[in-house]
Amino acid sequence: MSSTRALMQVLRARLGAADPLPPPAPAPEIPPPPHYVFPSPQMMGRYAEKASAHTTALVGIGHVGTRYATDVVLQFQAELAVAHQAVATVLPEDWAASQGLIGLQSRVTSHRQFLLRPDLGRRLSDESVKALRDKAQKGVDVQPILADGLSAVACMGSGMDLLRHFTAACEARGWKVGTPMCARYARVWLEDEIGQEVGARVAAILLGERPGLGTGDGLSAYIVHEPRIGKTDSDRNMMSNIHARGTPPAQAAQKLAMLVGAMLDQRTSGVGLDLSSLAAELGDAAARAPRAPQQRVRLVEVKR
Amino acid sequence: MQLSATIRGTTWRFESVKEVLAKANPPKSGDDLAGVSARDAVERVAARAALSQLTMSELRENPVVPYEADELTRLVDDTLDDQAFRAIKNLSVGQMREWLLDTKTTGPVIRSISAGLTPEMAAGVCKLMSNLDLMVVGAKCQVVVRANNTLGLPGRMSSRLQPNHPTDDVQGILFSMREGLCYGCGDAVIGVNPATDTAESTAEILKALDEVTTRNRIPTQNCVLSHVTVQMKALDLGAPMGLMFQSMSGSETGNRAFGISVKLMDEAWDKMKRLGTTRGPNVMYFETGQGSALSSAAHHGADQVTLEARCYGFARRYKPFLVNTVVGFIGPEYLENGPQITRAALEDHFMGKLLGLPMGCDACFTYHASMSQDELECLKVLLGAAGCTYLMSLPVGDDIMLNYQSTSFHDIPSVRMLIGKRPAPEFDAWLSETGIMDGDVPGERFGDPEVIR
Repeated sequence: MSSTRALMQVLRARLGAADPLPPPAPAPEIPPPPHYVFPSPQMMGRYAEKASAHTTALVGIGHVGTRYATDVVLQFQAELAVAHQAVATVLPEDWAASQGLIGLQSRVTSHRQFLLRPDLGRRLSDESVKALRDKAQKGVDVQPILADGLSAVACMGSGMDLLRHFTAACEARGWKVGTPMCARYARVWLEDEIGQEVGARVAAILLGERPGLGTGDGLSAYIVHEPRIGKTDSDRNMMSNIHARGTPPAQAAQKLAMLVGAMLDQRTSGVGLDLSSLAAELGDAAARAPRAPQQRVRLVEVKR
Repeated sequence: MQLSATIRGTTWRFESVKEVLAKANPPKSGDDLAGVSARDAVERVAARAALSQLTMSELRENPVVPYEADELTRLVDDTLDDQAFRAIKNLSVGQMREWLLDTKTTGPVIRSISAGLTPEMAAGVCKLMSNLDLMVVGAKCQVVVRANNTLGLPGRMSSRLQPNHPTDDVQGILFSMREGLCYGCGDAVIGVNPATDTAESTAEILKALDEVTTRNRIPTQNCVLSHVTVQMKALDLGAPMGLMFQSMSGSETGNRAFGISVKLMDEAWDKMKRLGTTRGPNVMYFETGQGSALSSAAHHGADQVTLEARCYGFARRYKPFLVNTVVGFIGPEYLENGPQITRAALEDHFMGKLLGLPMGCDACFTYHASMSQDELECLKVLLGAAGCTYLMSLPVGDDIMLNYQSTSFHDIPSVRMLIGKRPAPEFDAWLSETGIMDGDVPGERFGDPEVIR
């Protein structure tokens, strides 16, 4: 016998048996684990119920071992899927035309490039500059721009609704409103070049906001006075969370028109704009800090 | 100084040390955006070959932002430990990598040369290392710090509890805080990112956190992550501040965009040492992240890994209790996907530890980056195995204020049990006392937030 084989034999003898594991014990029927669920109005624990008056954070959700219950996992995955789907959706090239809007595009040519090159999303393609010169009305008070931003889902969802309400609110105040248009692969700062090109006193871009967990349908609006290439974030005022569960489009449009009015009166925007007299009507829109709390809704329902 | 290398008969020449450092980086979308990355995989290796021949002295003499132009470069060079520098100055970057990987080079040995390293040296070695190299050396480094409790001891992994709320509803913050504590989270800090950046609001949140930690006798420290000038005012209001926080960038101009300078941070540190409530000696908390300099056009043509290391060169002046890289927060234009975020997390942890900092990591993604939840969960285990001082923790990893995905309350005990680590010893004892943990396994009150009064 070789020395290796002899050594192996000694080790096996020391471990006790040829099969290193004993046979498994017979398994009794396993009762279903305690019912842990994602908190919903129909069913939630005491702690989750108390917390829900103050926060949308997922607390009081229990645990299995150190991990989540299956129901929590599914709910979480659904929320994640909604966010990822919103980011992945591309605004169809002909969507603007189908809504009767001038179709514009930034210098971005693909969805991946849109995510990786914010600088290109802030400038118009040469064809779009030409389209703007040919088709858009010049010398307007307000130029609204609908855009995809980081959620084409939101743009196609309540985008037209917000655009119509905002346009109506501006016209009701007697302002000259620019030709309706929609920009593809657009970042916020694209409003500077568009506004400059049409000679608008104020530009307002209404675009899909970066999705959060479970929310891919929110729009944000960024407004700037005297739009020019080279304006920065501190020159803008913004309002976020425009969707049915946040601020509905009709209501948001009134607040946005109020912001535009303040800009036209004070001839400035951003950090220099004094909104103290409008604070009560504007609510969240008066603060420059974004995001009111999101309301959480149960996404996954399984019939038993 | 040789700035060229030959691969299969083709010679690649580089103009500067800065170019060599940038092109030696593994692919990152942020380096592409800055226009400083290698053209292809072969040029990348050529840059690494050239880098491997440079000495530590040459890296010190060629900082990526010149001495005359940048206060961080001056700070690092003027305060470098001479004796430690002399010990390593003649090593090439390639030799430095080998020396660090040698099993005879233990944590205490690395600690003895740490103060002689400039950020460019740490970044240079980093670029020659694979992910597993970074983990092996990262796990060896010893950085132990103390505020109220002690972080960074062998066999320990801590967590920041991050109970953020979009409108700073104090009751809402406390509901998340109690939930996190009963999963064994919060031994590094209970730290809130405020929605409102005012001294009054900062003081109000700190007071509420302090009441809970005092009432329940929890050995940890509290922090509200407002701007450092706001926290200085909150200290004047008598706020019970356990740690003082600030975000940092890797160049003087980058820090100006954050509204800070060496002078301001010196004043803030001095004030915190006098008025803070923790015992110390480590009382500061800093956050960094690759890409922050480029996002304010303050990168000086340098790559984001080297600029990140320069944040650590700044941070170490203040002997911080916590430093973490918020690795996936900045978005896909800087770190595009799972492999890039994973690589950056391991790089930052390694460089920070090598430079003597108690490095933690916010392993996270935004929803427009190409990283899956599974990839993120794997990264937490990699960081734990690499000896990361602490991770974040939130309800289901979901930050309802900042809208990104990070580590969850449930992840912390899961990773600890997987890799055989325990919380900071003082906190560990408290967890056993409350019944949340029973030694290294969940106890009777695990996951029951009502255990916190």
